Amino acid sequence: MNRRQLAALAGALLLGSTLTACGSDDDTASGDNSGVTLTMLMGVNNIYPEQQRAWFTEVSDKFKAETGASVRFETFASANDELTKIQTSVVAGQGPDIYALGTTFTPTAYATGAFVELTKDDWDKVGGRDRFLPATLGISGPDKEHEVGIPFASRPFVMAYNKDLLTAAGIDKPADSWDGLRDQAKQLTKDGAYGLAVGYADGFDPWKFIWAMTTQAGTPVVKDGKASLDGPNTKAAYQAYLGWLATDKVVDPAAVGWKNAQAIAAFGEGKAAYLPMVSASSKVSLDKSKVAGKYAYAVMPTIPPGATSLPSGGVAATSILSGDNVVVAKYSKHKDLALALLKQLTSEESQTSYYKTFGELPTNQAAATALGSDPALAAIVESAGKSLNTPFTGGWGQVQLALTNVVVQSIPDLSAGKVDDGKLAGLLGQAQSTAQEALDKAK
Amino acid sequence: MFLPGGVLTLLVILVPLALALYISLLDLDQYSIREWVGADFIGFANYVEAVRDSHLVHAIGLSVGYSALVTVGCLPIGLAAAVATQDRFKGRGLVRSVLLVPYVLPAFVVGSTWRIIFQPDGVANEVLGTSGLWLNGPRSFWALVIVQLWAGWPLVYLLAAAGLQSLDATVHEAAALDGAGWWAKLRHVILPQLRGPVSLALVISFLHNVNSFTLPFVLFGVPSPYDVEVLPVLTYVESFQNFEFGLSVAMAVVSLILVAIPMAVYLRAVRLDTGLGRR
Amino acid sequence: MRRSEEVARLLPGPLRAVVLTVLLLVVLGPLAYMALASVSSDLAVARGALWPDGFHIDNYAKIWSTTNLGRGLVNSVLVAGAVAVVSAFVALLSAYVLVRYAFRGRIAVLRALLALQSIPGTLLLLPVFVLFASAATALGVTIIGTRWAVLITYLTFALPFSTWVMVTYLRELPPELDEAARVDGASPWRVLTRVIAPLSWPGLVVSGVFAFLLGWNDVLFASVLTNPDTRTAAVELQIFGASQEGGALPVYGQLMAAALVCAVPVVALYLVFQRYLVAGLTTGGVR
Repeated sequence: MNRRQLAALAGALLLGSTLTACGSDDDTASGDNSGVTLTMLMGVNNIYPEQQRAWFTEVSDKFKAETGASVRFETFASANDELTKIQTSVVAGQGPDIYALGTTFTPTAYATGAFVELTKDDWDKVGGRDRFLPATLGISGPDKEHEVGIPFASRPFVMAYNKDLLTAAGIDKPADSWDGLRDQAKQLTKDGAYGLAVGYADGFDPWKFIWAMTTQAGTPVVKDGKASLDGPNTKAAYQAYLGWLATDKVVDPAAVGWKNAQAIAAFGEGKAAYLPMVSASSKVSLDKSKVAGKYAYAVMPTIPPGATSLPSGGVAATSILSGDNVVVAKYSKHKDLALALLKQLTSEESQTSYYKTFGELPTNQAAATALGSDPALAAIVESAGKSLNTPFTGGWGQVQLALTNVVVQSIPDLSAGKVDDGKLAGLLGQAQSTAQEALDKAK
Repeated sequence: MFLPGGVLTLLVILVPLALALYISLLDLDQYSIREWVGADFIGFANYVEAVRDSHLVHAIGLSVGYSALVTVGCLPIGLAAAVATQDRFKGRGLVRSVLLVPYVLPAFVVGSTWRIIFQPDGVANEVLGTSGLWLNGPRSFWALVIVQLWAGWPLVYLLAAAGLQSLDATVHEAAALDGAGWWAKLRHVILPQLRGPVSLALVISFLHNVNSFTLPFVLFGVPSPYDVEVLPVLTYVESFQNFEFGLSVAMAVVSLILVAIPMAVYLRAVRLDTGLGRR
Repeated sequence: MRRSEEVARLLPGPLRAVVLTVLLLVVLGPLAYMALASVSSDLAVARGALWPDGFHIDNYAKIWSTTNLGRGLVNSVLVAGAVAVVSAFVALLSAYVLVRYAFRGRIAVLRALLALQSIPGTLLLLPVFVLFASAATALGVTIIGTRWAVLITYLTFALPFSTWVMVTYLRELPPELDEAARVDGASPWRVLTRVIAPLSWPGLVVSGVFAFLLGWNDVLFASVLTNPDTRTAAVELQIFGASQEGGALPVYGQLMAAALVCAVPVVALYLVFQRYLVAGLTTGGVR
């Protein structure tokens, strides 16, 4: 009974996969699309929930006026949610037509082979590949011929600093080396304020610091399919990053439990002089906080810990190439409509208005150029130009997780005010083997 | 006649189970998931990797350890509550209801609440006069034990109370005739009678804790601190963060073996007749 | 009457008072904090303050617009309610067969019922998903994202326990009952619906309530098998919590308010049927 059922089932499954393989009926964006609904998956915007809902309606209305089809938006709440959603849709061969993904997830999406590789023709339907800032295309695919990601928003990282606190301490400009930043932070830690606000419990921030420091030192965590998480530079990076709180005491001890949002809040309260690793979207919260008008953005240091100038082989990256890429699912029955929607979303007009509402920088070249003159954004635009993409491998997600995990497991020591050398080395050894294994499996 | 229903029921569980066993032998990851039927068959490689290169062994030890602790901890609390609410008194109905509430609360609600309570600046530290971390580091293990204990003990209470209510009045009469004091009566007459329902409760509680995913997941998040990286969370992370589906399912299969041991003990103890054979 | 009550006393009064006081404190402490936090400002919760710094009852008003909890609750009621009714009914059928008909492998089925309860959900999540996805493609229908997906899943998980409860309940009913009815010429179906079912109310309630709770409390399966329109309250709450962690200052007050709202229906259900639950378990207990 059981075996027969299983055999029948296996038959049904095989049949199912063949059906999906030849079941794509492409329509065109022109013609009658009334009644057609495109579904787009996006990250939920917690800073502007109402504006996001309004934006959804606006986009759908406009798209309907142009093509007759409407757009339905689904949102995901966290990276975890996002990955689950990608995966389940991939297995099911059904789900949203369009996905807006964090840039570092593009390789993961690419690895599943479930998303449309954009041909010249496809790019033309989006309005041409050259309408985008060249830098934002850096993580669209493994190479120019195999791109899946259409850049939608750019979110380069910078640091905010409290101008009043710096002036009071006699510091005229933010340091350009991590050691310099630490020294300034020491100077700034007094009268109930701390030098730095850092979210050690954040799910993403920690690896971005380590990535930046090691890249600047000339030993990126992943190079040519080889992981180097257990090298001396990686260890130095962790020591510097963890040391801020543990030994330098320039971070509020409560930060062991902070996410990025709490770090922003602490800075907004005027309780920290520097707030590294934030994007332009923090501007919104900060302009409503106690430090409104008293803060500015600067690029983060580009000289790695322990050095006074950029070492040979080091890359002066200020940020990961960050933002959102949009991918179109292969199973979508409305590919051309999807591309038409993306044309609308990446036009100069839409991109400018998106920036004004959400604080995310345009990927559209014309829109970006127009914004470049805004002095408040100077540092952010500069950082956008000096961003470097994370390696394009399907194993990157795991590398990222392994890097973050080292910090998660170090939190108890951190809160006890120490960075245990031996334990750190052990954690890095484990992280190295996890990362290398993931890279080895990448196809 | 009614068998189709029963058989169907079993099949709906057995097919996924069989599928799980099959998947655990496949090289199924993010690169092959789209065409999962075609993933490479790699025999027991996932199991070898699970035991050798992952945190599986640690997770098993952890899961068993904390589940045992919680289960043992539930016993005196549950019994005390059952005994204390057995005698008639004013407001007994209300007290009985209140005692059940932690068990009834959805795990997600329990997790969210205690996560806030255990924050570094949260009320736990405020009330206990402690400081530092509860949700990471060695103390996180105890945080998990405390929360599961808080949410889980009413099961023992429930079953023990049910057992008490089904006791014959003659038991009490006999104890009264002997002139036994309350402790002697409890110790030698009442509690032995509760052995059945209470052991059932303990086994269920143990299994529930070993398989509990939502609570540790919500309480500690992922990546999970090493001290509370319990089996279900590890399995979940392997699937949904690392995309190692084959490996993850292999781990889950190993956890099946883990629960099979207490299960077997329990199956031996439980009354398996259907009433037909008793006459 | 009074004497038998006197005889049945288990604990001296003062001792009982102490035990109950301690237990109630332990249980009510966190519950009270939950209620207090739900009317606190987010800052007060973040600081670890025990008492609210004001009475922010508007947290309860705000959650309906910040989340889709309303729709989630409707979905949860529909799904969990259906699971409760169907699983109690199917469990009754299966249990009746198991108890009243002698056939080979009956004890094995009973074993399986107990064993199946211990299969970890994380093991079945992926296979169930893959199965639904593939079967749906083969049959040309959509399963994932519909309420049917979670309904079938929860039913599957609820049935072993429900059936076990019914078995332990039905085996206490004297066979003479239905034998008498059958002698009168009643069909087995009639015996079941007219004789057995009315007598096994407590058992049915226990199975139903446990099945309901299973459907109401699950996050794991619902998070994968539902879409935004069919999400259950538990998933809405989980997403609400997760999005708070990633974004601006967490709205702890609203989070606790939403958690309380999700908890109230199941707590109410438990309390209403409490008598049945205890009685049902008495019969179901092992000796």
